[in-house]
Amino acid sequence: MIDQPDDAQRFPGLTPAGEQMLRFLREHPHAPLYRNASGHRLLPEELPQVRAFADAVRDAGIDPRADLGQSWLRDYVAVAMRQVPHYRRYGSAPEQFTDLPTICRGDLARDVAAFVPDDMPLERLINFRTTGLTGQPLLIASHPLVAARYLAFHERALRRFGIELTSGPGDVGVMLVGWQQRCFTYASVTPQRGECGLAKINLHEDDWRDVADRGPYIDALKPEVMTGDPLSLAALLAIEFAHRPRAILSTSMTLLPGLRTALEARFDCPVLDVYSLNEAGPIAVYDPALDAHVLLQPQMAIEILDAEGEPVAPGERGEITLTGGFNFCLPLLRYRTGDHAALELRGGEWVLAGLSGRAPVRFRTHSGEWINNIDVTHALKPFALPQYALLQAVDGSLKFDVHGYHGADLGEVGAALQDLFGAGAALTIATHREPCDKLVQYRSELAEAAVGGD
Amino acid sequence: MNQEGPPLEQLTRRLLETPAPFLGEPRIGKQGNVHVPALVADLLAAFGASADIDALKRFEGSDRAKERNPRMLTQILCWLLMDPALRGKITANELIRLLFEETNALAEKVAAKDFVDSDERREELSRMALRSAGLRPAGESKNVSEDRWLAVSSRERTRLAAASRAAEERARAIREALERKAAEESADKWSRE
Repeated sequence: MIDQPDDAQRFPGLTPAGEQMLRFLREHPHAPLYRNASGHRLLPEELPQVRAFADAVRDAGIDPRADLGQSWLRDYVAVAMRQVPHYRRYGSAPEQFTDLPTICRGDLARDVAAFVPDDMPLERLINFRTTGLTGQPLLIASHPLVAARYLAFHERALRRFGIELTSGPGDVGVMLVGWQQRCFTYASVTPQRGECGLAKINLHEDDWRDVADRGPYIDALKPEVMTGDPLSLAALLAIEFAHRPRAILSTSMTLLPGLRTALEARFDCPVLDVYSLNEAGPIAVYDPALDAHVLLQPQMAIEILDAEGEPVAPGERGEITLTGGFNFCLPLLRYRTGDHAALELRGGEWVLAGLSGRAPVRFRTHSGEWINNIDVTHALKPFALPQYALLQAVDGSLKFDVHGYHGADLGEVGAALQDLFGAGAALTIATHREPCDKLVQYRSELAEAAVGGD
Repeated sequence: MNQEGPPLEQLTRRLLETPAPFLGEPRIGKQGNVHVPALVADLLAAFGASADIDALKRFEGSDRAKERNPRMLTQILCWLLMDPALRGKITANELIRLLFEETNALAEKVAAKDFVDSDERREELSRMALRSAGLRPAGESKNVSEDRWLAVSSRERTRLAAASRAAEERARAIREALERKAAEESADKWSRE
């Protein structure tokens, strides 16, 4: 049975000012068709914890070295091995950190319950769903406090660019923009910043009564910060409006330099490329002065491993592997992310250099329209596909590969893809019994498929 | 069980004094420094038995997450079985069964080092080794020895079965709690991945 919460559960302790903000966001004459509902779910008594966490993150030093000499890391490993069923199987804590086994996305996808600590009450557990680079669907266990803590890392990242957030009661703090045929959209408030507004909107034409409302709505809300993936931010560039946010945060996929420059030129504000994972939250922010992503989390150890799970030589590139983090519902011990970079000290700060993660890809439909790779993800959501990849060839034809055992009717999968791309689109589907370790989920050979390249 | 063996304390003390190399990291893949198949081969040789290559290969392991703990227990048990009082009294097949199947089962829910650190686990492992050698602790009658073995091993089995049931129930509750949440509706983050 699915819980259908009401506003009292979504916004505990909502004040009249907060209510007014929600009405403003939802009932504005230019408002989009908000299709969903969600909220912060924070209890009033949890707010001091959220603020204390942000204070602690603000100026904390960051040393990501995976060395059990760091007391926080030693304690973190000991607690995880005692409280988390998956890690308990390892036996006793090793002398050397590198003697711990590694885990990967597949381990979380197989049984996320084995990663939730024994002492975690389940009443307030929430989830985030993700598909990610490898195409393995994943349900992440989380908590309203964890979701609220994201802001502490955004604030730390923004401070680096000279931005101190000022939004408070009566302001709109953030607008999350999407550009997808189907997008989860809602209005909310952020209690740790005086119930300033939060609007998660979809720029896609179908989500507006009048497509001309998009610019005026943004101008009416004047969000202090706008966040989105490179595909949605590129779509934002095509909309006329006067508002200039104080900063733009790009997440989810690699932000290519061309798009960053275009966004900076249009909005005259810093554009932050944040490396963030559902499994671990915001990890690092790109700093052009260092030409690298500067780490954001004080209690996160980072290793760079080779294909066989061995640490690479200092400064060499390899797979980013995480231990720690702030999601107390999902402790991570040596989590291999599938993303690659080198860990270096630059200008006295630890950075991820040469980060390569998920590149955004657009696909062309049979009628010549461009669609976001997330639309493909949405179209395939009903199907139990453990792992898949879609490639669009230079002639526009599509090749869809399914890996691993699956219970999906491939005829229906094909029909869903034809619905999305058009009945005339050339599509072939191939199945492979073995899962693929290094699958690139979305690829296109069309020159215009990359977003924001130079 | 028909013959009287060494005092139980001789074996429990031996476990308590397990040398550091037997508590090292089992080599699985490229990690770890204790070569468990070599350790098992040495034990078999000490018992006058020859090593079957295929049987030894099983101790190499490939999945560190699953096999680290049981192989660490294999190492500890190798040290225990090297006790002069047990030498030559266990068949090669029984040795392999103890060192592989039995350690896999014992290490499923208990950290291998507990068989060194905990009084009760030391007693359990020592009595198990004696039984496999057809011995009972010095000074104990057959009946007393059998009663004590049942007490120490069944108490643990009961505890583990209860822990296992609780773990399954907990995992089911977590999966249900996650599934109950409305699709995609969770809690606000200022950015989405």
